[in-house]
Amino acid sequence: MSDGGRENRREHEKSSGHRKSGVDNFARAIAKIAVAQVCETEGFQAFQQSALETFSDVAVRYIRDVGKTALLYTNLAGRTEVNVFDVIQGLEDLSMGLGFVGASDIDHCLVQSGVVRELLQYVGDSEELPFAYALPQLPIFRDRKQTPSFLQAGVEPPHEHIPSWLPPFPDIQDHVQLPMQENGAKDPQLVEVEHAKDDIKPEQQSSLSVQPLHSAGGLAGPPLVAERNAANLKEAAVTNPYLAAPLYFGEKEVSPAVLPTKLSSEAAVGDHVGQKQVMDGKISALEAFVPGIESIKSGLNDSDEGQMKVFPSQRPPVQFKIRIGKRSFNANPNSSFEHEDFVRLLLVVPFLCYSDTNVHEEFDDALGLLITSNVMLLGWIG
Amino acid sequence: MNNHHGQSQQSSESKHDDDAALTDFLASLMEYTPTVPDELVEHYLGKSGFQCPDVRLTRLVAVATQKFVADIASDALQHCKARQASVVKDKRDKQQKDKRLILTMDDLSKALREYGVNVKHQEYFADSPSAGLDTASRDE
Repeated sequence: MSDGGRENRREHEKSSGHRKSGVDNFARAIAKIAVAQVCETEGFQAFQQSALETFSDVAVRYIRDVGKTALLYTNLAGRTEVNVFDVIQGLEDLSMGLGFVGASDIDHCLVQSGVVRELLQYVGDSEELPFAYALPQLPIFRDRKQTPSFLQAGVEPPHEHIPSWLPPFPDIQDHVQLPMQENGAKDPQLVEVEHAKDDIKPEQQSSLSVQPLHSAGGLAGPPLVAERNAANLKEAAVTNPYLAAPLYFGEKEVSPAVLPTKLSSEAAVGDHVGQKQVMDGKISALEAFVPGIESIKSGLNDSDEGQMKVFPSQRPPVQFKIRIGKRSFNANPNSSFEHEDFVRLLLVVPFLCYSDTNVHEEFDDALGLLITSNVMLLGWIG
Repeated sequence: MNNHHGQSQQSSESKHDDDAALTDFLASLMEYTPTVPDELVEHYLGKSGFQCPDVRLTRLVAVATQKFVADIASDALQHCKARQASVVKDKRDKQQKDKRLILTMDDLSKALREYGVNVKHQEYFADSPSAGLDTASRDE
Protein backbone atom coordinates (compact mmCIF):
# COMPACT_ATOMS: atom_id res chain seq x y z
CA MET A 1 0.00 0.00 0.00
CA SER A 2 1.21 3.44 -0.71
CA ASP A 3 -0.13 6.86 0.11
CA GLY A 4 -1.21 8.12 -3.27
CA GLY A 5 2.15 7.74 -4.94
CA ARG A 6 4.08 9.90 -2.59
CA GLU A 7 7.09 7.66 -2.82
CA ASN A 8 7.05 7.93 -6.57
CA ARG A 9 6.87 11.64 -6.30
CA ARG A 10 9.87 11.72 -4.05
CA GLU A 11 11.80 9.65 -6.49
CA HIS A 12 10.78 11.95 -9.27
CA GLU A 13 11.91 14.99 -7.33
CA LYS A 14 15.21 13.38 -6.61
CA SER A 15 15.77 12.47 -10.20
CA SER A 16 14.78 15.85 -11.59
CA GLY A 17 16.92 17.77 -9.12
CA HIS A 18 15.58 21.12 -10.20
CA ARG A 19 16.97 23.90 -8.10
CA LYS A 20 13.92 26.11 -8.17
CA SER A 21 11.53 23.42 -7.02
CA GLY A 22 14.04 22.57 -4.35
CA VAL A 23 13.81 26.11 -3.00
CA ASP A 24 10.06 25.91 -2.98
CA ASN A 25 10.12 22.60 -1.18
CA PHE A 26 12.36 24.13 1.41
CA ALA A 27 10.07 27.13 1.81
CA ARG A 28 7.08 24.85 2.13
CA ALA A 29 8.80 22.80 4.78
CA ILE A 30 9.51 25.96 6.72
CA ALA A 31 5.92 27.07 6.36
CA LYS A 32 4.82 23.70 7.73
CA ILE A 33 7.04 24.05 10.76
CA ALA A 34 5.84 27.59 11.42
CA VAL A 35 2.20 26.59 11.11
CA ALA A 36 2.76 23.61 13.36
CA GLN A 37 4.36 25.87 15.93
CA VAL A 38 1.42 28.26 15.88
CA CYS A 39 -0.99 25.33 16.22
CA GLU A 40 0.95 24.04 19.15
CA THR A 41 0.69 27.42 20.84
CA GLU A 42 -3.04 27.34 20.33
CA GLY A 43 -3.28 24.04 22.18
CA PHE A 44 -3.10 21.28 19.60
CA GLN A 45 -1.12 18.25 20.58
CA ALA A 46 -0.89 16.41 17.30
CA PHE A 47 -1.83 16.80 13.69
CA GLN A 48 -2.73 14.83 10.65
CA GLN A 49 -0.13 15.14 7.95
CA SER A 50 -2.68 16.08 5.31
CA ALA A 51 -4.25 18.71 7.55
CA LEU A 52 -0.90 20.31 8.24
CA GLU A 53 -0.01 20.32 4.57
CA THR A 54 -3.32 21.92 3.66
CA PHE A 55 -2.98 24.45 6.42
CA SER A 56 0.54 25.45 5.44
CA ASP A 57 -0.58 25.76 1.84
CA VAL A 58 -3.35 28.08 2.92
CA ALA A 59 -0.91 30.14 4.97
CA VAL A 60 1.48 30.44 2.03
CA ARG A 61 -1.41 31.43 -0.16
CA TYR A 62 -2.36 34.08 2.36
CA ILE A 63 1.10 35.60 2.25
CA ARG A 64 1.09 35.65 -1.51
CA ASP A 65 -2.38 37.13 -1.65
CA VAL A 66 -1.42 39.89 0.75
CA GLY A 67 1.58 40.62 -1.44
CA LYS A 68 -0.49 40.62 -4.59
CA THR A 69 -3.20 42.88 -3.21
CA ALA A 70 -0.68 45.30 -1.74
CA LEU A 71 1.10 45.42 -5.05
CA LEU A 72 -2.19 46.09 -6.79
CA TYR A 73 -2.78 49.16 -4.66
CA THR A 74 0.80 50.25 -5.10
CA ASN A 75 0.52 50.12 -8.84
CA LEU A 76 -2.85 51.82 -8.67
CA ALA A 77 -1.17 54.74 -6.92
CA GLY A 78 1.51 54.82 -9.59
CA ARG A 79 4.32 53.57 -7.40
CA THR A 80 6.55 50.56 -7.61
CA GLU A 81 7.63 50.35 -4.00
CA VAL A 82 5.07 49.14 -1.50
CA ASN A 83 4.34 51.24 1.57
CA VAL A 84 2.49 50.47 4.77
CA PHE A 85 -0.85 51.76 3.56
CA ASP A 86 -0.85 49.42 0.62
CA VAL A 87 -0.23 46.54 2.95
CA ILE A 88 -2.97 47.63 5.32
CA GLN A 89 -5.35 48.05 2.41
CA GLY A 90 -4.44 44.58 1.21
CA LEU A 91 -4.99 43.11 4.67
CA GLU A 92 -8.34 44.84 4.87
CA ASP A 93 -9.33 43.40 1.53
CA LEU A 94 -8.44 39.91 2.63
CA SER A 95 -10.32 40.18 5.91
CA MET A 96 -13.44 41.55 4.24
CA GLY A 97 -15.00 38.11 4.40
CA LEU A 98 -14.92 38.02 8.18
CA GLY A 99 -15.36 41.69 8.78
CA PHE A 100 -13.51 44.01 11.09
CA VAL A 101 -14.13 47.14 13.11
CA GLY A 102 -14.91 50.06 10.85
CA ALA A 103 -15.24 48.02 7.68
CA SER A 104 -18.59 49.59 6.89
CA ASP A 105 -17.07 53.05 6.74
CA ILE A 106 -15.69 53.20 3.25
CA ASP A 107 -13.93 56.53 3.81
CA HIS A 108 -12.11 55.53 6.93
CA CYS A 109 -8.49 56.46 7.29
CA LEU A 110 -6.14 53.57 6.94
CA VAL A 111 -4.15 54.75 9.94
CA GLN A 112 -6.99 53.83 12.27
CA SER A 113 -7.91 50.65 10.49
CA GLY A 114 -9.64 47.97 12.48
CA VAL A 115 -7.30 45.37 11.03
CA VAL A 116 -4.27 47.15 12.42
CA ARG A 117 -5.96 47.48 15.78
CA GLU A 118 -6.67 43.77 15.83
CA LEU A 119 -3.09 43.04 14.91
CA LEU A 120 -1.92 45.35 17.68
CA GLN A 121 -4.12 43.51 20.10
CA TYR A 122 -2.87 40.14 18.90
CA VAL A 123 0.76 41.16 19.25
CA GLY A 124 0.05 42.41 22.74
CA ASP A 125 -1.79 39.27 23.80
CA SER A 126 0.17 36.45 22.25
CA GLU A 127 3.45 35.43 23.64
CA GLU A 128 6.44 35.80 21.47
CA LEU A 129 7.56 32.51 20.03
CA PRO A 130 10.40 32.73 17.57
CA PHE A 131 10.80 30.24 14.77
CA ALA A 132 12.42 27.01 15.84
CA TYR A 133 15.41 27.18 13.51
CA ALA A 134 17.80 29.80 12.32
CA LEU A 135 17.24 30.37 8.65
CA PRO A 136 19.48 31.56 5.87
CA GLN A 137 18.20 34.12 3.41
CA LEU A 138 16.04 32.59 0.70
CA PRO A 139 16.66 31.62 -2.02
CA ILE A 140 19.72 29.76 -0.94
CA PHE A 141 22.64 29.56 -3.29
CA ARG A 142 25.16 26.97 -2.38
CA ASP A 143 28.59 28.50 -2.70
CA ARG A 144 30.13 26.72 -5.59
CA LYS A 145 33.73 25.77 -5.43
CA GLN A 146 35.37 27.75 -8.16
CA THR A 147 38.24 26.46 -10.13
CA PRO A 148 41.41 28.20 -8.93
CA SER A 149 43.12 30.40 -11.48
CA PHE A 150 46.65 29.88 -12.73
CA LEU A 151 47.80 32.35 -10.11
CA GLN A 152 46.01 30.63 -7.24
CA ALA A 153 47.10 27.20 -8.37
CA GLY A 154 50.65 28.44 -8.64
CA VAL A 155 51.01 27.15 -12.17
CA GLU A 156 52.55 29.05 -15.03
CA PRO A 157 50.20 29.51 -18.01
CA PRO A 158 51.30 27.33 -20.91
CA HIS A 159 51.51 30.28 -23.28
CA GLU A 160 52.49 33.90 -22.88
CA HIS A 161 49.26 35.40 -24.13
CA ILE A 162 47.14 33.70 -21.45
CA PRO A 163 46.76 35.94 -18.41
CA SER A 164 47.41 34.30 -15.08
CA TRP A 165 44.02 35.21 -13.59
CA LEU A 166 42.23 32.82 -15.89
CA PRO A 167 41.41 29.34 -14.66
CA PRO A 168 43.58 26.59 -16.05
CA PHE A 169 42.47 24.45 -18.92
CA PRO A 170 40.73 21.22 -18.16
CA ASP A 171 42.82 18.10 -18.27
CA ILE A 172 43.73 16.83 -21.68
CA GLN A 173 42.24 13.52 -20.64
CA ASP A 174 38.81 15.17 -20.58
CA HIS A 175 39.18 16.39 -24.13
CA VAL A 176 40.30 13.04 -25.32
CA GLN A 177 37.54 11.01 -23.81
CA LEU A 178 34.75 13.35 -24.76
CA PRO A 179 34.06 12.16 -28.32
CA MET A 180 34.14 8.55 -27.25
CA GLN A 181 31.57 9.25 -24.56
CA GLU A 182 29.43 10.99 -27.12
CA ASN A 183 29.60 7.90 -29.27
CA GLY A 184 28.62 5.77 -26.35
CA ALA A 185 25.76 7.97 -25.31
CA LYS A 186 24.39 8.27 -28.78
CA ASP A 187 20.73 7.81 -29.25
CA PRO A 188 19.97 4.27 -30.36
CA GLN A 189 17.57 5.65 -32.97
CA LEU A 190 20.34 7.78 -34.39
CA VAL A 191 22.55 4.77 -34.62
CA GLU A 192 19.79 2.96 -36.42
CA VAL A 193 19.46 5.82 -38.83
CA GLU A 194 23.15 5.64 -39.51
CA HIS A 195 22.90 1.96 -40.22
CA ALA A 196 20.09 2.67 -42.61
CA LYS A 197 22.29 5.22 -44.31
CA ASP A 198 24.95 2.58 -44.61
CA ASP A 199 22.57 0.43 -46.51
CA ILE A 200 21.53 3.18 -48.84
CA LYS A 201 24.81 4.86 -49.52
CA PRO A 202 27.72 2.53 -49.66
CA GLU A 203 29.94 5.33 -50.91
CA GLN A 204 29.70 7.01 -47.50
CA GLN A 205 31.05 3.96 -45.78
CA SER A 206 34.48 5.44 -45.82
CA SER A 207 33.55 8.53 -43.88
CA LEU A 208 31.67 6.43 -41.36
CA SER A 209 34.60 4.22 -40.80
CA VAL A 210 36.51 7.27 -39.60
CA GLN A 211 34.65 7.15 -36.31
CA PRO A 212 35.90 3.91 -34.81
CA LEU A 213 39.37 4.74 -36.04
CA HIS A 214 39.17 8.09 -34.36
CA SER A 215 37.95 6.76 -31.05
CA ALA A 216 40.59 4.10 -31.11
CA GLY A 217 43.16 6.81 -31.67
CA GLY A 218 41.70 8.73 -28.75
CA LEU A 219 42.30 5.77 -26.52
CA ALA A 220 45.85 5.38 -27.66
CA GLY A 221 46.93 8.97 -27.34
CA PRO A 222 45.86 12.57 -27.90
CA PRO A 223 45.28 13.19 -31.59
CA LEU A 224 46.05 16.55 -33.15
CA VAL A 225 43.41 19.18 -32.76
CA ALA A 226 43.00 19.76 -36.46
CA GLU A 227 42.60 16.06 -37.05
CA ARG A 228 39.97 15.86 -34.37
CA ASN A 229 38.11 18.83 -35.77
CA ALA A 230 38.03 17.24 -39.15
CA ALA A 231 36.78 14.04 -37.64
CA ASN A 232 34.12 15.94 -35.74
CA LEU A 233 33.04 17.70 -38.90
CA LYS A 234 32.78 14.45 -40.75
CA GLU A 235 30.85 12.93 -37.92
CA ALA A 236 28.50 15.90 -37.92
CA ALA A 237 28.08 15.53 -41.65
CA VAL A 238 27.14 11.92 -41.19
CA THR A 239 24.69 12.48 -38.39
CA ASN A 240 23.28 15.77 -39.61
CA PRO A 241 21.77 15.54 -43.09
CA TYR A 242 21.86 19.32 -43.51
CA LEU A 243 25.61 19.44 -43.15
CA ALA A 244 26.23 16.63 -45.58
CA ALA A 245 27.83 17.37 -48.93
CA PRO A 246 25.31 17.84 -51.74
CA LEU A 247 24.64 14.94 -54.03
CA TYR A 248 25.21 15.39 -57.74
CA PHE A 249 23.14 13.94 -60.51
CA GLY A 250 23.70 10.27 -60.89
CA GLU A 251 25.59 9.97 -57.64
CA LYS A 252 22.72 8.48 -55.80
CA GLU A 253 20.97 5.60 -57.42
CA VAL A 254 17.27 6.06 -57.58
CA SER A 255 15.12 3.24 -58.81
CA PRO A 256 13.20 4.30 -61.93
CA ALA A 257 9.49 4.62 -61.61
CA VAL A 258 7.89 1.48 -63.05
CA LEU A 259 4.31 1.34 -64.04
CA PRO A 260 2.27 -1.65 -63.02
CA THR A 261 2.29 -4.31 -65.73
CA LYS A 262 -1.38 -4.01 -66.50
CA LEU A 263 -1.23 -0.28 -67.02
CA SER A 264 1.88 -0.37 -69.11
CA SER A 265 0.60 -3.07 -71.40
CA GLU A 266 -2.61 -1.23 -71.96
CA ALA A 267 -0.75 1.99 -72.55
CA ALA A 268 1.14 0.20 -75.26
CA VAL A 269 -2.10 -0.89 -76.81
CA GLY A 270 -3.43 2.62 -76.55
CA ASP A 271 -6.84 1.55 -75.43
CA HIS A 272 -7.66 4.43 -73.13
CA VAL A 273 -11.17 3.31 -72.58
CA GLY A 274 -10.03 -0.04 -71.39
CA GLN A 275 -7.50 1.61 -69.14
CA LYS A 276 -10.13 3.72 -67.61
CA GLN A 277 -12.31 0.73 -67.11
CA VAL A 278 -9.60 -0.92 -65.15
CA MET A 279 -8.79 2.15 -63.16
CA ASP A 280 -12.23 3.28 -62.31
CA GLY A 281 -15.24 1.14 -61.62
CA LYS A 282 -17.46 4.12 -62.12
CA ILE A 283 -17.21 3.78 -65.82
CA SER A 284 -19.55 0.84 -66.02
CA ALA A 285 -22.36 3.08 -67.20
CA LEU A 286 -20.16 4.45 -69.93
CA GLU A 287 -19.14 1.01 -70.92
CA ALA A 288 -22.64 0.39 -72.06
CA PHE A 289 -22.53 3.34 -74.44
CA VAL A 290 -19.25 2.68 -76.12
CA PRO A 291 -20.40 0.22 -78.75
CA GLY A 292 -23.38 2.36 -79.56
CA ILE A 293 -21.26 5.42 -79.90
CA GLU A 294 -18.89 3.63 -82.15
CA SER A 295 -21.64 2.35 -84.33
CA ILE A 296 -23.15 5.78 -84.54
CA LYS A 297 -19.90 7.30 -85.61
CA SER A 298 -19.20 4.69 -88.20
CA GLY A 299 -22.68 5.10 -89.58
CA LEU A 300 -22.67 8.86 -89.76
CA ASN A 301 -19.18 9.40 -91.10
CA ASP A 302 -18.86 12.70 -89.38
CA SER A 303 -15.97 15.02 -89.54
CA ASP A 304 -15.54 14.24 -85.90
CA GLU A 305 -13.82 11.04 -86.84
CA GLY A 306 -10.78 12.94 -87.93
CA GLN A 307 -10.82 14.92 -84.76
CA MET A 308 -10.94 11.75 -82.78
CA LYS A 309 -7.62 10.59 -83.98
CA VAL A 310 -5.96 13.70 -82.71
CA PHE A 311 -5.04 13.21 -79.09
CA PRO A 312 -5.52 16.54 -77.43
CA SER A 313 -2.96 17.34 -74.80
CA GLN A 314 -5.38 19.43 -72.78
CA ARG A 315 -8.64 18.31 -71.33
CA PRO A 316 -10.59 16.92 -74.21
CA PRO A 317 -13.88 18.56 -75.05
CA VAL A 318 -17.13 16.81 -74.51
CA GLN A 319 -19.40 17.20 -77.46
CA PHE A 320 -22.97 16.41 -77.82
CA LYS A 321 -25.04 16.48 -80.89
CA ILE A 322 -28.75 16.34 -80.86
CA ARG A 323 -30.43 15.58 -84.08
CA ILE A 324 -33.54 14.03 -85.31
CA GLY A 325 -32.49 10.94 -87.11
CA LYS A 326 -33.90 7.98 -88.92
CA ARG A 327 -36.00 5.52 -87.13
CA SER A 328 -34.16 2.27 -87.65
CA PHE A 329 -30.71 3.63 -87.49
CA ASN A 330 -29.40 2.09 -84.35
CA ALA A 331 -29.07 -1.62 -84.12
CA ASN A 332 -27.16 -1.65 -80.90
CA PRO A 333 -28.90 -3.64 -78.19
CA ASN A 334 -26.83 -2.05 -75.43
CA SER A 335 -27.91 1.49 -76.07
CA SER A 336 -30.39 2.84 -73.61
CA PHE A 337 -31.85 5.07 -76.30
CA GLU A 338 -32.81 2.41 -78.76
CA HIS A 339 -36.51 2.55 -78.00
CA GLU A 340 -36.73 6.25 -78.70
CA ASP A 341 -38.14 6.65 -82.10
CA PHE A 342 -38.20 10.33 -82.79
CA VAL A 343 -35.13 11.65 -81.29
CA ARG A 344 -31.74 10.38 -82.05
CA LEU A 345 -29.15 11.71 -79.74
CA LEU A 346 -25.76 11.66 -81.14
CA LEU A 347 -23.14 11.40 -78.62
CA VAL A 348 -19.70 12.02 -79.81
CA VAL A 349 -17.11 11.88 -77.18
CA PRO A 350 -13.45 11.69 -77.92
CA PHE A 351 -12.19 8.57 -76.25
CA LEU A 352 -9.44 10.37 -74.51
CA CYS A 353 -11.88 12.13 -72.31
CA TYR A 354 -12.30 8.94 -70.36
CA SER A 355 -8.83 9.17 -69.04
CA ASP A 356 -9.67 12.16 -66.94
CA THR A 357 -11.77 11.69 -63.84
CA ASN A 358 -13.06 15.24 -63.93
CA VAL A 359 -14.19 14.81 -67.44
CA HIS A 360 -15.72 11.59 -66.44
CA GLU A 361 -17.75 13.33 -63.80
CA GLU A 362 -18.68 15.98 -66.27
CA PHE A 363 -19.73 13.23 -68.51
CA ASP A 364 -22.03 11.91 -65.84
CA ASP A 365 -23.55 15.33 -65.44
CA ALA A 366 -23.89 15.67 -69.14
CA LEU A 367 -25.57 12.33 -69.27
CA GLY A 368 -28.20 13.56 -66.86
CA LEU A 369 -28.63 16.68 -68.97
CA LEU A 370 -28.87 14.55 -72.02
CA ILE A 371 -31.67 12.50 -70.61
CA THR A 372 -33.62 15.53 -69.43
CA SER A 373 -33.20 17.28 -72.77
CA ASN A 374 -34.29 14.09 -74.38
CA VAL A 375 -37.49 14.14 -72.44
CA MET A 376 -38.01 17.79 -73.27
CA LEU A 377 -37.48 17.16 -76.92
CA LEU A 378 -39.90 14.31 -76.80
CA GLY A 379 -42.47 16.61 -75.31
CA TRP A 380 -41.74 19.24 -77.93
CA ILE A 381 -42.00 16.90 -80.82
CA GLY A 382 -44.96 14.97 -79.57
CA MET B 1 -18.76 74.86 25.68
CA ASN B 2 -17.51 75.19 22.17
CA ASN B 3 -18.61 71.80 21.08
CA HIS B 4 -17.78 72.03 17.44
CA HIS B 5 -14.31 73.32 18.03
CA GLY B 6 -13.67 70.71 20.66
CA GLN B 7 -14.78 67.92 18.38
CA SER B 8 -12.55 68.91 15.51
CA GLN B 9 -9.66 69.36 17.87
CA GLN B 10 -10.37 65.98 19.34
CA SER B 11 -10.53 64.31 15.96
CA SER B 12 -7.29 65.89 14.87
CA GLU B 13 -5.77 64.84 18.15
CA SER B 14 -7.05 61.32 17.74
CA LYS B 15 -5.67 61.29 14.24
CA HIS B 16 -2.34 62.27 15.63
CA ASP B 17 -2.73 59.59 18.23
CA ASP B 18 -3.54 56.99 15.59
CA ASP B 19 -0.63 58.15 13.53
CA ALA B 20 1.64 57.82 16.49
CA ALA B 21 0.07 54.47 17.39
CA LEU B 22 0.73 53.11 13.92
CA THR B 23 4.29 54.33 13.97
CA ASP B 24 4.78 52.89 17.42
CA PHE B 25 3.24 49.62 16.35
CA LEU B 26 5.50 49.37 13.35
CA ALA B 27 8.47 50.25 15.49
CA SER B 28 7.47 47.67 18.08
CA LEU B 29 7.43 45.06 15.34
CA MET B 30 11.19 45.44 15.13
CA GLU B 31 11.44 43.96 18.60
CA TYR B 32 8.72 41.38 18.14
CA THR B 33 9.78 38.19 16.46
CA PRO B 34 6.84 36.48 14.78
CA THR B 35 6.75 32.72 14.53
CA VAL B 36 6.41 32.94 10.78
CA PRO B 37 9.99 33.67 9.77
CA ASP B 38 10.85 36.83 7.89
CA GLU B 39 12.74 34.90 5.26
CA LEU B 40 9.70 32.84 4.35
CA VAL B 41 7.47 35.90 4.10
CA GLU B 42 10.06 37.76 2.08
CA HIS B 43 10.43 34.83 -0.28
CA TYR B 44 6.74 34.55 -1.00
CA LEU B 45 6.16 38.28 -1.12
CA GLY B 46 8.97 38.54 -3.62
CA LYS B 47 7.30 35.85 -5.66
CA SER B 48 4.13 37.89 -5.84
CA GLY B 49 6.03 40.94 -7.03
CA PHE B 50 6.13 42.78 -3.73
CA GLN B 51 9.39 44.62 -3.25
CA CYS B 52 10.19 46.71 -0.24
CA PRO B 53 13.42 47.03 1.66
CA ASP B 54 11.58 47.90 4.87
CA VAL B 55 11.75 45.01 7.32
CA ARG B 56 8.83 46.43 9.26
CA LEU B 57 6.46 45.75 6.39
CA THR B 58 7.66 42.19 6.11
CA ARG B 59 7.11 41.84 9.82
CA LEU B 60 3.65 43.32 9.45
CA VAL B 61 2.73 40.71 6.87
CA ALA B 62 4.34 38.02 9.02
CA VAL B 63 2.30 39.05 12.03
CA ALA B 64 -0.85 39.21 9.95
CA THR B 65 -0.18 35.72 8.63
CA GLN B 66 0.50 34.44 12.10
CA LYS B 67 -2.71 35.94 13.35
CA PHE B 68 -4.59 34.42 10.44
CA VAL B 69 -3.14 30.99 11.16
CA ALA B 70 -3.70 31.33 14.89
CA ASP B 71 -7.33 32.36 14.43
CA ILE B 72 -8.03 29.40 12.20
CA ALA B 73 -6.17 27.09 14.55
CA SER B 74 -8.16 28.26 17.54
CA ASP B 75 -11.39 27.80 15.61
CA ALA B 76 -10.32 24.32 14.58
CA LEU B 77 -9.46 23.61 18.20
CA GLN B 78 -12.94 24.61 19.28
CA HIS B 79 -14.39 22.32 16.61
CA CYS B 80 -12.16 19.52 17.82
CA LYS B 81 -13.16 20.00 21.45
CA ALA B 82 -16.83 20.21 20.55
CA ARG B 83 -16.57 17.00 18.54
CA GLN B 84 -14.93 15.17 21.38
CA ALA B 85 -17.48 16.48 23.88
CA SER B 86 -20.37 15.33 21.74
CA VAL B 87 -19.30 11.69 21.89
CA VAL B 88 -21.56 9.65 24.14
CA LYS B 89 -20.14 9.11 27.55
CA ASP B 90 -19.74 5.31 27.53
CA LYS B 91 -17.98 5.52 24.20
CA ARG B 92 -15.76 8.20 25.59
CA ASP B 93 -14.16 5.76 28.02
CA LYS B 94 -13.16 3.55 25.13
CA GLN B 95 -11.64 6.41 23.28
CA GLN B 96 -9.80 7.68 26.30
CA LYS B 97 -6.46 7.14 24.70
CA ASP B 98 -7.54 9.23 21.70
CA LYS B 99 -8.32 12.17 23.93
CA ARG B 100 -5.39 14.07 22.51
CA LEU B 101 -6.23 17.18 20.59
CA ILE B 102 -5.41 16.39 16.99
CA LEU B 103 -5.59 18.81 14.12
CA THR B 104 -7.69 16.89 11.61
CA MET B 105 -8.87 17.73 8.16
CA ASP B 106 -12.48 17.73 9.31
CA ASP B 107 -11.97 20.43 11.89
CA LEU B 108 -9.61 22.36 9.70
CA SER B 109 -11.95 22.44 6.74
CA LYS B 110 -14.81 23.55 9.00
CA ALA B 111 -12.68 26.35 10.41
CA LEU B 112 -11.33 27.38 7.02
CA ARG B 113 -14.81 27.62 5.56
CA GLU B 114 -15.50 30.60 7.76
CA TYR B 115 -12.44 32.31 6.36
CA GLY B 116 -13.54 31.85 2.81
CA VAL B 117 -11.31 28.90 2.03
CA ASN B 118 -13.11 25.88 0.68
CA VAL B 119 -11.25 22.73 1.52
CA LYS B 120 -12.79 19.45 0.61
CA HIS B 121 -11.55 16.62 2.73
CA GLN B 122 -10.39 13.68 0.70
CA GLU B 123 -12.35 10.79 2.06
CA TYR B 124 -9.88 8.00 1.65
CA PHE B 125 -6.66 9.92 1.76
CA ALA B 126 -3.97 8.01 3.61
CA ASP B 127 -1.79 10.37 5.62
CA SER B 128 1.06 7.97 5.97
CA PRO B 129 1.92 4.62 4.41
CA SER B 130 0.86 2.91 7.63
CA ALA B 131 -2.37 4.88 8.04
CA GLY B 132 -4.66 2.21 6.65
CA LEU B 133 -3.06 -0.66 8.53
CA ASP B 134 -3.95 -1.65 12.05
CA THR B 135 -1.35 -2.12 14.75
CA ALA B 136 -1.07 -5.88 14.29
CA SER B 137 -0.10 -5.65 10.66
CA ARG B 138 2.16 -2.71 11.38
CA ASP B 139 4.22 -4.79 13.76
CA GLU B 140 4.95 -7.37 11.15
